[in-house]
Amino acid sequence: MSEATADAGSGESTLGNTDGRLLIAGGVVGAFALLFVVGTLFPDSTVGTLSYLLLQPGPWSSMLTLAVPITLAAVGGIFAEKSGVINIGLEGLLIISAFTAIFAADTTGSLWVGFGAAILASVLLALVFAVVCIEFRADQIIAGLAIWLIALGFAPFAARIVYGSPNTVSLTNSVPAVRHAGIPVVSPVFQTLSTTNALGPAQALFRASPSVYLMFGVVALGWYLLNRTNFGMWVRASGENPKALDTSGVNVHRVRYAAVLLSGVFAGMGGAALSYNIGQFTGSGQTMVNGKGFIAIVAYLFGNYNPVGAMLSTFLFTLLEAIQNPLQTAGIGVPSDLIGTLPYIGVIVVLALVGRTRIPEAAGDHYETGEDR
Amino acid sequence: MSSEAGSDGSKPDRSGTEWGDRARAGLARLVEASAFERALISLAALVLSIAIGALVILAAGRTATCETAATTYFGYGFCYDPFRVYDRLFLGALGNPINPLFDPLHGNFAAPFTEGWTPFNDRLAYTLTETTVLVLTGLSVAVAFKAGIFNIGTQGQMVIGGLASTLVMLALVPVFTGLATVALLPIGIVVGAVFGGLYGAIPGALKAYADANEVITTIMLNFVASSVALYLVREQFKDPDSFSTKTNDLPAGVEFPQLLYAQNTAFSVVALLFVLALVAATYYLLRHTSFGYDLRTSGLQAAAAEYGGVNSARTIVASMTISGALAGIGGTVYVLMYYGYFQPPVPSYGFDGITVAILAGNNPVGVVPAAFLFGVLKSGAISIQTDPNVTIPIQLVGVLRGLIILFVAMPEFFRLVGKRFTDAGRRSREGGSRVADAVRSDGGVAGGETDE
Repeated sequence: MSEATADAGSGESTLGNTDGRLLIAGGVVGAFALLFVVGTLFPDSTVGTLSYLLLQPGPWSSMLTLAVPITLAAVGGIFAEKSGVINIGLEGLLIISAFTAIFAADTTGSLWVGFGAAILASVLLALVFAVVCIEFRADQIIAGLAIWLIALGFAPFAARIVYGSPNTVSLTNSVPAVRHAGIPVVSPVFQTLSTTNALGPAQALFRASPSVYLMFGVVALGWYLLNRTNFGMWVRASGENPKALDTSGVNVHRVRYAAVLLSGVFAGMGGAALSYNIGQFTGSGQTMVNGKGFIAIVAYLFGNYNPVGAMLSTFLFTLLEAIQNPLQTAGIGVPSDLIGTLPYIGVIVVLALVGRTRIPEAAGDHYETGEDR
Repeated sequence: MSSEAGSDGSKPDRSGTEWGDRARAGLARLVEASAFERALISLAALVLSIAIGALVILAAGRTATCETAATTYFGYGFCYDPFRVYDRLFLGALGNPINPLFDPLHGNFAAPFTEGWTPFNDRLAYTLTETTVLVLTGLSVAVAFKAGIFNIGTQGQMVIGGLASTLVMLALVPVFTGLATVALLPIGIVVGAVFGGLYGAIPGALKAYADANEVITTIMLNFVASSVALYLVREQFKDPDSFSTKTNDLPAGVEFPQLLYAQNTAFSVVALLFVLALVAATYYLLRHTSFGYDLRTSGLQAAAAEYGGVNSARTIVASMTISGALAGIGGTVYVLMYYGYFQPPVPSYGFDGITVAILAGNNPVGVVPAAFLFGVLKSGAISIQTDPNVTIPIQLVGVLRGLIILFVAMPEFFRLVGKRFTDAGRRSREGGSRVADAVRSDGGVAGGETDE
């Protein structure tokens, strides 16, 4: 009986959410269409400048680059939350891996080692979070905040010890864009396509650094894992109905551990991509991560736990950020401090319109296996 | 059974997101623990954090390079000595009351107190200044948590309140000249409360009427607040005579009167007394008024409170407004005590307030000692910085803050440890937690899988 009522309730709210999402997606498409029409009619107006800018590959390129850490963290967050553990500490995982990537790459001189070390650091911190939540039944929200605060304190602390300031040194070597990487066949093709003006904004797709393609890969992998494999089914069951999963002989705790550690892996990639992109870790104030982990949470909520949806909603936020610099250069006079708040306000508006997402039934709850009592 | 109560109440009745409900269930579990047990858990969390912090210090000491090792354990030299670091951190913050020659373990029975030490020293003055602001931000977070709302936005509410009150006071300076300058202080506090309250009401209303998760909205509003404050101070209200990004100075009369402590310190006993009065008022509001009762029951059992006739949407907005108002007053008090002008960025008192409130178990009175502890940590960090013998980065305090929250969040861990020691203790506690579970499942928390 309670099953039936719960289902009715969730059906209703899913419908409401779809409306909210469609509204926003439709609104975005409509706004773009209007923008281009008005922009073409009045090329000298502000709108004209804006639509001209959006037809260049530049903003789209930065949109892709900025989206990498957020999307990767979001895909990780999807796994954790789908399994029943709300990982609000994604921000902390990004911070710790962004620092570790630079530190390890700087010490060993190898970007690959830095990348691996970043993932390891993020997974270790995720493990702490998992043990605290799964083993010791901590409140997931408070434990997640603690993970964030620990990383927020530790990364600048470590940077001060090693480099004498909250910021690290700049790496001397950087990750080349694929078109400059000298890979046979691929690089020349990308180079040609990235300068083919006929492609318009789509040139951005071929100008990106490898991390952008990693993001596409992880999104595809995440979607496949979640929807087409046994593991994905266990993860979803662990979040929706852990008792049934337990009854069918799968260890719920083990699934949840795997899911949280996986969120550590993906967030670790994201953190490394973030700091490699700049070549440095900056640890003053909110650090260079600056809320990206929290935007990731909003992105997957808005994307309804679908990795592809999470990536698309991330694009929405990062395009707002990416358009800032070109707007400044074009002399459209809105102060940068205020434009900088746009993604954050965007998040709030999205949350207000979408409202409640139907989160997994057992997310946030501790699950006790039968044998323990 | 339990889901019925939620679903036939339809959307507007359900107070907030499902996340919120689950969070509330978690908070309820925290509140179930008796005050004594809570205090014990907080103390244990503190001790454990300090112990792990010591390991971090040692590990950091192996990584760092220094000319002479500060200490040697097991044949390895370390650049930082945890004992000396903690000595500076805790005793430094009190102005070094303990005589270094006093060492009863080694048979040195010198006078225990350092000669000439008084509780009115400058170091302790700084500690208490920090404490004063932290009590307000801690109180702000605690009020919201009590109502079952995770207000992470105290920082932003503090920034908005502090900036708004500074700007209004500056604008009113020509009106209130001479002796009337004194009137600016209460006006500033009221303005800070109003603007902080309004900024807190935004996520409250979004949660109550649009089901937007308050953890996310408040964090986002923190970013918005700091950017807007930076813009306003830099572009609109900058002090033209200063190189730094700050507002004009408030006139000399607009400050809390200074008693007992030296004029060069920022601390004002009057400000502390004012803040303690707010603590008492908050305690009274929560404990002895019907609004406070509504607020607490909403925090413990949202559905039950709803059934009992509590307007949950209004309670959410009201408690967020009060929370924001306390944060706004915190911003005003910070501006008035420290500088007499507003300068972004505001230090992270709001985030420390979260730690203070969690450590205090969301008890308004418990906020005072918890805030003092963090005042000690922040002030001790400065005495570490000024001591040439201890070179450890002060970001260590940030690590300790995170560790303390992590351990306070897992009372179960300490109960498990406790169980190992006392068998009798185990039985009584387990009985207690069973009851708590039962109450929880009746309260309409979705997903009763944890119950048997």
